[in-house]
Amino acid sequence: MGDEYPSLFRSEQMSLVQLIVPTEVAHDTIAELGELGNVEFKDLNPDVNPFQRSYVGEIRRVDEMARRVRFFSSQIEKDKDKVPIRPLYDSAPLLTVGPRAAHTMDELDVKLAEHETRLIQMNDSYQLLSERTKELVEARHVLRETAVFFERASGYQQDVRSSFDDSSAPLLQHDDREQQYSSSNIQFDLEFVAGTIERSRLPTFERVLWRVLRGNLYMNHTDIQEPFVDPTTGVETRKNVFIIFAHGDTLLAKIRKVAESMGATLYPIDANADKRAESMREVTARLEDLQVVLFNTGINRRAELVTIGESLASWQDVVRKEKLIYETLNLLIYDVRRKTLIAEGWCPTRDIPMIQVALRHATEESGTNVPPILHDLKTNKTPPTFNRTNRFTEGFQTIMDAYGIASYQEVNPGLFAVITFPFLFAVMFGDIGHGFITFMSAAIMILLERRLLKADLGEIFGMFFFGRYIILMMGLFSMYTGLLYNDIFSKSLHLFASGWSWPEDPGNQTVTAIPNGHTYIFGLDPGWHGADNALLFTNSYKMKMSIVLGVVHMTFALCLQVPNHLRFKRYTDIWTNFVPQMIFLQSIFGYLVVCIIYKWTIDWETSPTGPPSLLNMLISMFLSPGTVDPDTQLYRGQSTVQVILLGLAFVCVPWMLIAKPYLEWKEMQKIHGQGYIGLGTDEAPRDISDTVMEGEEEGNGRAVVEAMEEEHEQHDFGEVVIHQVIHTIEFCLGCISHTASYLRLWALSLAHAQLSEVLWTMTIEGVLGMSGVFGIIAILLMGVVWFILTVGILCVMEGLSAFLHALRLHWVEANSKHYEAGGYEFAPLSFASLDEN
Amino acid sequence: MSSSLPTLFILAIVLALMACAWFFTPKGPQQTLIRTSFMLSLACCYLMWMVTYLAQVHPLERPRKAFVPE
Repeated sequence: MGDEYPSLFRSEQMSLVQLIVPTEVAHDTIAELGELGNVEFKDLNPDVNPFQRSYVGEIRRVDEMARRVRFFSSQIEKDKDKVPIRPLYDSAPLLTVGPRAAHTMDELDVKLAEHETRLIQMNDSYQLLSERTKELVEARHVLRETAVFFERASGYQQDVRSSFDDSSAPLLQHDDREQQYSSSNIQFDLEFVAGTIERSRLPTFERVLWRVLRGNLYMNHTDIQEPFVDPTTGVETRKNVFIIFAHGDTLLAKIRKVAESMGATLYPIDANADKRAESMREVTARLEDLQVVLFNTGINRRAELVTIGESLASWQDVVRKEKLIYETLNLLIYDVRRKTLIAEGWCPTRDIPMIQVALRHATEESGTNVPPILHDLKTNKTPPTFNRTNRFTEGFQTIMDAYGIASYQEVNPGLFAVITFPFLFAVMFGDIGHGFITFMSAAIMILLERRLLKADLGEIFGMFFFGRYIILMMGLFSMYTGLLYNDIFSKSLHLFASGWSWPEDPGNQTVTAIPNGHTYIFGLDPGWHGADNALLFTNSYKMKMSIVLGVVHMTFALCLQVPNHLRFKRYTDIWTNFVPQMIFLQSIFGYLVVCIIYKWTIDWETSPTGPPSLLNMLISMFLSPGTVDPDTQLYRGQSTVQVILLGLAFVCVPWMLIAKPYLEWKEMQKIHGQGYIGLGTDEAPRDISDTVMEGEEEGNGRAVVEAMEEEHEQHDFGEVVIHQVIHTIEFCLGCISHTASYLRLWALSLAHAQLSEVLWTMTIEGVLGMSGVFGIIAILLMGVVWFILTVGILCVMEGLSAFLHALRLHWVEANSKHYEAGGYEFAPLSFASLDEN
Repeated sequence: MSSSLPTLFILAIVLALMACAWFFTPKGPQQTLIRTSFMLSLACCYLMWMVTYLAQVHPLERPRKAFVPE
């Protein structure tokens, strides 16, 4: 079956290879193999602490570079305007292999450090300048507001002077006389403190001051309209300007202390209006200067980020690759005798020539003429499972691998899932229109494949895009099943001659169609569309179809056991496991399927007996074997046949339970009797830990081997019996439950059809009769609503639901019949797969 | 007169097509995949068609409509 090429039928053949790599070429060799993506390296230093490995220093340096690159990318992200990052496929490649590699890496290290220091410096100065600007803006506000206070207060002062005209206030009078000669300046002998404080703290501030100073103050405050935005965090704060008048140094000191403790900022304001005007001018000038400097710093910083953005993608790539290369280098052993590094790994046997070419290429690149050597090792260890997939099969293989990775060289269910999965989906989804929408959406994704592969699609759409070929097949099969169910957006197509004729003259209220001798050639007869008892017929049809498809699918899955038994040379398993399971399944459910099909081929109108209910027939086959009511028998001799089949099924149960353990036991007796010859040759691949194998390989003393052997036998036999019991029970009970489980094919297709019909009835059908402009508008609107709901509910929601159930059928019902899934996945060192993360 | 015989004819045709798929798929890395897919699709599509056809050859129910005067 296509032996020259490996196929998806089972895992590719893997070999354990040993690479002997001279130390000079090591880095370049690993880089080359990483680009190839074909080798999975084993850890040859499992006991070594990660901090003691050979290449720790290099990894640390690369980590430092990675940190710097991360810092750059976070700075670029934070910047408000988008900084363009040149994508990787567009950037000039950085050579990290070859003789100049070390030099390139050193250069890169230095460059990154430089960029980092510059960027940090610019950030700091920007921050500083922003704070300074904020302070100056506040100062300006304070100056402005206090000017208002003073102007207002000068107005009051006229009143104050006039009311305090007696000699009981000598000080004031004295001062007044002095001030009479300086009319330009409005002097206060009350000193003051001015500043800003957050609006929310203002009431508390006032209260505290009042209490502390016992009311010996005069405070005035106004709001600052514009909020202050903190440049680093972007948080807005609202502040107020306050000015507090008090007399006496102690009071002023107290005010200052309270203000500081409440987080207010104090500004030195002069009482003299001219001086205030001067400071205002000064502040404004400084503010303008600062704005200019800030602007320039911003421009410089942005220029720096743009320069970084040019090469950021290639730096990220290099840093990631180097880290991976050094981590892989840490997995190798240094052979002191030969002064080379030794690597061991798994690779597909077919790819060994490719790997050798890559090794030679690496040697040429680095300029030495000592090539690495590749050995093929013989081993008992189980290789990883590798299925080579292409764009098309990748999706299907992934969904089957999600259940479990196939054991090495086991039959791979992913191959068959390419067709059976979309088919079972389509049975539940069958509608030509919905299938077409699904097909077209997948086709669009596939046509735009190249562009979409490079773009970042987000999680949800990314998942749909990953499964685009699955969706394509699902849409295709859905159109086929839609044709068979004769359902296009809940309407029927009338493509061929119908088998039902409607009588012209209705006698009563209900009309019954008359069969006219045709059978509708392809699909469900459109005569059923709109009939009252349509569901009666379609339910019976779909349920029986589900059982037929289910039993066929399970039989197919069961047969997949046989190649496994043959490949792993478990010939006895064929007739201890496979044959009784097949007989059990067929004698009950295979018989049911045969009866279903037979019952359909009989014309019950011309038959002497009446049509039996198949479900009752099956139940009474078990409950009262041997007795069949002759009025509702399906065929002559039915009771005898059923008894025989029942007997067969019953015989299979002890067959499954006993045959295999008995054979194993006989085997063990034979080995016991013959001494310890043939250790492990007749046993199925057993689970042995690595230490035991190594012990055997290194020739441990006989006594140890004997003890192990005996323990193994005891252990093995009990295990075999238990395993067989579980297996038998699971299979027999599973047969029944899984067969019934396939009825979900009926259930979901019924739900889909009903939903589709309801949607039509509730949207478009109501507005179809309307005429005139209003009618047209109504139809258009309803049409849009109908389409959106069709796509959203019927295609997406129902589609996801059917996807899930089809997957379940594959995972539980089909895989339990043959799949062992005991393998581990081949995870090669591959730089290409890094980009996908 | 509707009968179930057409299913046998179509079965023969489908089996012939499956044999063609087995023998005439070009050798190459995708041979197994193409062959399996073709044969499985043919089998599945035939099975579903056969069931649909057989269910309607001698139906036990007749469609019934409540007569709505036009």
